[in-house]
Amino acid sequence: MMRTVEVLLVVFLLGAAYVATSSYITLPSPSSVSPLDLNQLAYTTLQELDARYDLSSAAFQTNNLTAWGNLQIALAASLPPNMVYNLTVYNVNTNSNGAPLYSSVASISNAANLVSSDASSYLEASSNVTYISTPQQISTNGVPVTLYILDCSDTNGWWTTGYTPSSLAQTVYSLLSPYFKTTVMVQNTNQLNQLLNGQSLKGEAVNNAIIINTCGEAVPIPTNFSSKSGLNYTQGYDSKDSSYATYDYTLGKITQLYNWTWVSIVGYPFYYVTNTGSLSNSQNNFGIYGMNMVQGYGLSAFLEGLDNQPYSYTGSSTGQPGVVYLTSQVQSLCNYYGLYPSISQTSTRALPASITTQYHLVVTNSLFTTTSPNNPGAVYRHLNGANYQGGFFALGMARIPDIRLAALGILCDYQPARYGSLYTAAGSNRLVVLQLGIVGGG
Amino acid sequence: MSGVSIDHLISIVVLFAAVLLFIGLFNQTLSVAVDYQRNTSTAKTCGDLLDTMLLTPGIPIKGTPVAFGLQDPSLTQYQLSPFSLMRLDSSTEAPISYQKTDLTYSTITTSPHNYLLYPYTDMINYSTALTLLGISGTYGFQLSLTPTLNVSIAQTSPSTGPLSLSLGVTGTGFPLANANVNYLLIPVLLNTNYPDFETIAHQTGTVKTNSVGSASITFSNFSPNPNLTYAFVAYAYLDGITGIGYYEPSPVGNQSIVPFLDPLSTQSVTLAHSDDVPHTSTNANTLYYNTTFILESQNYAIQETSLGSSNPSGNVTSGTGTGNSPISISMDSYTPGILVIAYDNAGNSGVVMMPWGFSSLGFSMTFGGTPLNHGWVATDLRQVQINGVSYQAKLSLWSVQGHQESG
Repeated sequence: MMRTVEVLLVVFLLGAAYVATSSYITLPSPSSVSPLDLNQLAYTTLQELDARYDLSSAAFQTNNLTAWGNLQIALAASLPPNMVYNLTVYNVNTNSNGAPLYSSVASISNAANLVSSDASSYLEASSNVTYISTPQQISTNGVPVTLYILDCSDTNGWWTTGYTPSSLAQTVYSLLSPYFKTTVMVQNTNQLNQLLNGQSLKGEAVNNAIIINTCGEAVPIPTNFSSKSGLNYTQGYDSKDSSYATYDYTLGKITQLYNWTWVSIVGYPFYYVTNTGSLSNSQNNFGIYGMNMVQGYGLSAFLEGLDNQPYSYTGSSTGQPGVVYLTSQVQSLCNYYGLYPSISQTSTRALPASITTQYHLVVTNSLFTTTSPNNPGAVYRHLNGANYQGGFFALGMARIPDIRLAALGILCDYQPARYGSLYTAAGSNRLVVLQLGIVGGG
Repeated sequence: MSGVSIDHLISIVVLFAAVLLFIGLFNQTLSVAVDYQRNTSTAKTCGDLLDTMLLTPGIPIKGTPVAFGLQDPSLTQYQLSPFSLMRLDSSTEAPISYQKTDLTYSTITTSPHNYLLYPYTDMINYSTALTLLGISGTYGFQLSLTPTLNVSIAQTSPSTGPLSLSLGVTGTGFPLANANVNYLLIPVLLNTNYPDFETIAHQTGTVKTNSVGSASITFSNFSPNPNLTYAFVAYAYLDGITGIGYYEPSPVGNQSIVPFLDPLSTQSVTLAHSDDVPHTSTNANTLYYNTTFILESQNYAIQETSLGSSNPSGNVTSGTGTGNSPISISMDSYTPGILVIAYDNAGNSGVVMMPWGFSSLGFSMTFGGTPLNHGWVATDLRQVQINGVSYQAKLSLWSVQGHQESG
């Protein structure tokens, strides 16, 4: 009998434990498990209301009842019926210590208070104010940096699917040229050859330049380096291993010599070389003629050249971290520079972080959150003693390339300022905050 | 001795039963918590995936996409490409085959004479989208795009007398009061044979909706009759929210013209005789047609323009043999708008409208799988613009890796 009583006690204790546990484990409501992203909904709603600058107009006409009435009608019509909102406009002034001071000007709402809500904001400029934003020109030690964009007509692109190198070159030109004193479109591989010999094309400074290769995974190779009769053939072709990896090694050496920053916009850097003239009979194993596959030997060779190491025919590898995200700092700079690529990208050719120790590199700017042991998109600077000498910006993204990422990477690394001439004008800015909440179903 | 044994036996049985019971109870609590954790993850993925779709310029007009994205590559933020969307397999009705092109077309219609017919061979289907998004075997989704504004139009005037139309503009939440409505009326004369039934001078105007989002328009100098029909298009807008409505009277006769979109890269539309769809007929009448292209400018004004290139007007015949080939119209450019086709002959007449660019007629679309029978479906919503027309993009996402249902 005693055992039965003891067991019943145990059962009671188990039951008590279950009841106690259940009372402590409060499962969240379905709405909090799967919440509607009110922050993004508010943001896209503000964006829509301002699609033709009507929100901007209303934000500066808070005494105009018609304008405010229309704004409320449009807001109510565009949101689901179970949504409550509060839209408030703040005047943006500057405090005596220089900090922004926000004072509420007007507000519209369809609820007394918004429990469990989320908000987004939008900064509006008065239509009476014309902003003149002057970009700072990128320089090194006070000397303007030249931007070279490889727009070689005698080359082909690879992993530039949907674009031609030329169209990418035009786009990146429009994005970046305001930040440079001199931007040079390198029209063909002959001009590139001239550049590799340290000769300027238009009297610009060759040292400290940035070179953007718009051919994707392929690198333009001048005939001098790719043709047997070329003057620099031995610096372009490795006869022993039948590979143009030597050319990539030479590029690395020159990049280091002139303190260039070489930009690879997509995929595996230096995987091919391209010249539709001298390599017209060669194809990249995928049927694209005018191109020769160097494989991963090209990347190793370039980095060896960059680090002044002796050339060796060595393979390299990249990682596939998959979906990667822009860092919060880069996202913030997206607003500053007005460039908005998707914050999530897919990386399938990320360089291993180990190259920093192997080739004496330092990461000066990383576009994406770290995905150790790989770095999906970063600017590497080569350390020569205490100084930087040569740089490499590799975006190991999957195709299709988003050229805005390349522009963003450069801007985030140099961080040139944009001087807004009337930015401090009193009353020229208003902050619109839209707060949304859901009624019912909670 | 036997009492002790019975006591022992009972206690063992009770203990064993209790342990089993409580293992089940605790297990249930734990599994519910794990399910909630997974569902939260699905909800987070839903928002990320929706932004990925809407902010990635992926599906080009030409060629096979290597990423699934809908953003207009020439614009920023949540502005979608009207042509990328046309390549999504979002058929709402049964597919239509057309023997003369030997193609099967995905179908979106809003009325028996307003079509969006696109060849399956050039479409992106659901399984391809899953692969491009990298979620094949992990998640299923349904993406729906619905116009924010519903602009309904009806003819209120009798069969004779000046034309009167009533308009109603409502949003997803409330009616759109005080909205401006820009409209365009295209009259079509049908009393003579081609090419004399060309459209005559169009009429444009602006009207404001009242407090319940309604408005009425009367054309005192236009009275439709059996020899005079029309097409009517209206843009309603208020503070950035824009919607589109359209109306055409019911056609006369059983024979009409069916516009089939060719692959977008060809920039052309094939006009078919309705009696040839799906199988070629030999008894139908020739239909004479005339085309007009309508586009909206930046300031909401509606403009009418003619298609200057091949076959802007002509005739569509049915049957086989030389001279009965399908008619191909070149669309001249990738400027979104509405293709209006007036046709007439032998008691068959009317107007057919087709969007050139997904949003031009305010069509809705649902792309992807069905969320039915999936335990937990996360949803997220964004406001987007497609060629200036306001839409709401809603993504439903569910996990396909085992059963996940709670709450």
